[in-house]
Amino acid sequence: MVGIFDFTPAIVLLPFVSFLIALAVGDHLPKGGALAGITATAGSLALAIGTVLAVAGGRTYDATLYTWAEGLEAVNLTFGVLIDPLSALMLLIVTLVAFLVHVFSLGYMNDEDETGLPRYYAGLGLFTASMLGFVVADNLLMAFMFFELVGLCSYLLIGFHFREPGPPSAAKKAFLVTRFGDYFFLVGVVAVFGTFGTAAFVGSESFPALAEAALRGETSVNTFGFAPQTWFTIVGLLVLGGVIGKSAQYPLHTWLPDAMEGPTPVSALIHAATMVAAGVYLVARMYGFYAISPTALAIIAFVGGFTALFAATMGLVKREIKQVLAYSTISQYGYMMLALGGGGYVAATFHLMTHAFFKALLFLGAGSVIIAMHHNEDMWDMGGLRSKMPVTYYTFLSGSLALAGIFPFAGFWSKDEVLYETLLHGLDGDPILLAAYAMGLLAVFFTGLYTFRMVFLTFHGDPRSGTAEDPHGVRWNVKFPLVVLGVLAAVAGFVNMVPVKKVTGLKIDFLHKWLEHGYAGLTVEHYGELLHDFPHYGSAGLELSPLGPGAVSLGLALAGAVVAHRLYNVPEPVEHTDRLGEIKTVLYNNYYQDEYQVWIANGLTRSIARAANKFDGGVVDGVVNGVSSVSLFSGSRIRRIQTGVVSNYAVLLTLGLTALILAFGLAGGWFV
Amino acid sequence: MTPDALALQTETVAAWTALAPAILLGLTGLALLGVDTLWPDDPSNAVLAGVAAAGSILSFAVTGWFLVAGTGQASTGGAIALYGDALVVDGMSLFFTLIFTVVTAMVVVAAYDYLDDHSHRAEFYSLTLFAATGMAVMATANSLATVFISLELASLPSYALVAFLKTDRGSVEAGLKYFLIGAVSSAVLAFGISLVYAVTGSLVLGDVAAAIGTPEMAGVLGLGVLMILGGFAFKTASVPFHFWAPEAYEGAPAPISAFLSSASKAAGFAVAFRVFVQAFPLEAVPAGVDWVIAFQVLAVVTMTLGNFAAATQENVKRMLAYSSIGHAGYALIGLAALTAGGPNGDVLGASMAHLLVYGFMNTGAFLFIALVEHWGVGRTFEDYNGLASTAPIAAVAMTVFMFSLAGLPPFGGFLSKYVLFYSAIEAGFWWLAAVGAVNSALSLFYYSRVVKAMWIETPVADFEIESRPVGLYTAVLFAGVGTLLLLPGFGPVIETAQTVAATLF
Repeated sequence: MVGIFDFTPAIVLLPFVSFLIALAVGDHLPKGGALAGITATAGSLALAIGTVLAVAGGRTYDATLYTWAEGLEAVNLTFGVLIDPLSALMLLIVTLVAFLVHVFSLGYMNDEDETGLPRYYAGLGLFTASMLGFVVADNLLMAFMFFELVGLCSYLLIGFHFREPGPPSAAKKAFLVTRFGDYFFLVGVVAVFGTFGTAAFVGSESFPALAEAALRGETSVNTFGFAPQTWFTIVGLLVLGGVIGKSAQYPLHTWLPDAMEGPTPVSALIHAATMVAAGVYLVARMYGFYAISPTALAIIAFVGGFTALFAATMGLVKREIKQVLAYSTISQYGYMMLALGGGGYVAATFHLMTHAFFKALLFLGAGSVIIAMHHNEDMWDMGGLRSKMPVTYYTFLSGSLALAGIFPFAGFWSKDEVLYETLLHGLDGDPILLAAYAMGLLAVFFTGLYTFRMVFLTFHGDPRSGTAEDPHGVRWNVKFPLVVLGVLAAVAGFVNMVPVKKVTGLKIDFLHKWLEHGYAGLTVEHYGELLHDFPHYGSAGLELSPLGPGAVSLGLALAGAVVAHRLYNVPEPVEHTDRLGEIKTVLYNNYYQDEYQVWIANGLTRSIARAANKFDGGVVDGVVNGVSSVSLFSGSRIRRIQTGVVSNYAVLLTLGLTALILAFGLAGGWFV
Repeated sequence: MTPDALALQTETVAAWTALAPAILLGLTGLALLGVDTLWPDDPSNAVLAGVAAAGSILSFAVTGWFLVAGTGQASTGGAIALYGDALVVDGMSLFFTLIFTVVTAMVVVAAYDYLDDHSHRAEFYSLTLFAATGMAVMATANSLATVFISLELASLPSYALVAFLKTDRGSVEAGLKYFLIGAVSSAVLAFGISLVYAVTGSLVLGDVAAAIGTPEMAGVLGLGVLMILGGFAFKTASVPFHFWAPEAYEGAPAPISAFLSSASKAAGFAVAFRVFVQAFPLEAVPAGVDWVIAFQVLAVVTMTLGNFAAATQENVKRMLAYSSIGHAGYALIGLAALTAGGPNGDVLGASMAHLLVYGFMNTGAFLFIALVEHWGVGRTFEDYNGLASTAPIAAVAMTVFMFSLAGLPPFGGFLSKYVLFYSAIEAGFWWLAAVGAVNSALSLFYYSRVVKAMWIETPVADFEIESRPVGLYTAVLFAGVGTLLLLPGFGPVIETAQTVAATLF
């Protein structure tokens, strides 16, 4: 029987085919390959919906499709598909956002008469296909390979306008910085293979299951001389290197603001559905492996909380609308990491979903504003756009309310759950989690502030430039994605209203229910057990009403919004950042993160590279050259033996044989 | 064991039919003499080459059929012993006969053009076929007497063939030197055989093996073994019996250089493998007669000396001659990495497979030289400059040969060398593999010099290449395609080689 799961590979392959089409014949197609991309992503979306419905019916799917390297006594390297509630949900998010981004691109790229459209749509298709392949991957190595493809595509798309100075440099930076993280990821993949002999995500022979069994003393794996707990933490942190690079967490976040050089729809795709989401999704995918390591969880939570706060403060002072959004992305993914580290698996997934919607919305809204502003991104040149582009304004407002975490928009529910779970587990007596929580909570205020600063500067007040007075109109292909996402940003939070459930007792935590079924080793309950048994989350049995923490975070968000309102919702807003004094400079320069990384690259790496080069040129080459001159010299000596006189040959031959006989005779005792 | 049953035949046929490949080669040689007698004035070159090629190809086909059908192999009852165990037909003899016949076919096809303006062609072809007959018998020789006779049968026509260009001083001188060194070596071999006979009282390999266990007279036995080793070292052009090789290969007509360096060398290995493995098994030889160590010394010295000397040559043909010595060193690993109870079949089989691949790539390389000589282009690296621009197809083939000889993928030489070194490591002789690998790296230097000269350098003078000799081109391209196809097709080759080699132990 042919079921919906037989079409799972098609979800990945359809965008890939659109990539091939755009690449091969995009020049001859109307709209430069856009229609192929839209059709493909629409098809993928339809199949993803079908998959989600099938998973909702309680079915799951795990199949190895292709074994591309068969080890005799070692491991098999395979491509396979894993469909469970998590990956089905992610498929839906990615295909939906990718579809809407393709539609939006009609307005942003085609209507603006950009050149190189086939290249653009080929990139989008491959990007989508890579991310979808990553999402359905059923083992870590396959995930790594698609992870790398995602990185490659981001490089290609960020550097789309390669004739300008900025984009190629930003693309290279994105590629190199994420590659730095992926280096650790690759070592981690090898370590997983070396330790467990498998990299499968699911099943009793999967590496999370084996790791758990090893810790419970039921089996033993090769831990290379470390205690199992220590070694699993090391491996987990190695893989986390890739996550930190891709999900732009401190200290590898520096590529992401620069990546704003790419076309805005690409930014939407990168931030909402593909590149950046990949890191967090990977942690969620192999959560069973992290849940057994308290140290790894604490590091994840702390890095997440720190990044959330750290990025939010930098977002306060930016002038360009996309820069603000970029820092907000870093900050929001920090929340997801905080949730994962704090034991809030559902909360992280929830925030991943709502963030995908509202961040795609905000980027597309920003794209709409940028179209209107003739590609001027400086918020200080905008103002008063509210009345001129109402659709964009109201959808953008919906996204902003969600981002700021204002009740009852999507972001409120998910961010609230993130903070609640972290607080709950932190109160068990985990100071690191509490510190991470405090940073996350503080970041809520800054989020409200920078979000509404952006909204007020862009849409409110009086127009501050000629373009803002007479903006360029946008068409349906821009408005349609905005409306879809605007609605989702408003209502997506209702799928998991945990506080309402706790207060009223209604069973409306649908996302919890959703993630509760599927493979036994990949469910929320199982993760709950692991979190209880290993890092002892929730073992104190604390009961905490969600209302208090929720009210605090909402209050902080509103406070931030109010401050923004006071400062910037005036007809003629002025820059208040000067009041920050020295701090402004620090924030403006992103805490000098780029500077020290450039110093590491230039000052440190380059001098090491130079030394290595000297070693290579002097010692290695010297040895090689020495060997070759010695060889040639001895070759010319050997040549002289060949005198051309046959009696010499006979003598040498006889002497050689005699020497051989003598040596063997003496050694073998023939002459005794 | 039913030694006189041929596989896949409904009726039992006489056992001697298992010798059909050798008999076919011999008959072809006689037929060539017959043609020459019937038309003594002007025997047509095409007819002679055709008969010679047809005979060797037929013999090749029969050998292939036997090998596939399982004649003399475990699947049909094991080796077929003939004439009081003087000859034996088994998988290894068929495998080697395959090498001899295919090389012979390529050589005679190439000689069709090479001999275009020479007289005494019939003699050339028939001597080649007789030498091939001798080699085929060498592969089957199971007694030290037949070993000696067949070795002489292969050698004597070779001396004449090297000196075939009667008006060329180099050719005549090379033939004389080859003959003189050959005479010394044959004497050493005969002396060695007599000493072994003195100790064991038998010439049949199996009986020798049964008799060497007695420890008294171990010294005489050891002397005999080493002298026999010397005789084989002459045939395989291994140190210190290699002196003839550079001169003979350089002076001889290039097709004969190809023939000697590929087929004749392989024949030397065939007989060496059988004699040492069957007559002096490692489990049975008394302490102090550890011939494996001798082969290890010879392997290391031979590959090192061959490659080092090849690196400094200016003359391409002479470079190939030394490279051929180097490859003899690699093939010697087949005997040098044997251990009592080790993976001996794998080691020996890998060496056999390497010799098969070598049969293609080395023959091809020498035939390319023949082609160049036919055109009258000079012999040094400089003379080859820019050859690719005038003869691109042949240059591509030569490039394939060079890179394959160096052991680079994606050519047959890569896998055969890889498996050879790998099996040496498997047997515990990683240092032999290491020496081999270092030598291979060095060999890339001089092989790529040829490629560089052909493709990158600009010609020093204009070539005058008017002809595209059909026979030479056919042979060169056949060898090239064979070298290429032996990469994907290496699986069955190595499996066959290792299976048939394993039955020797």
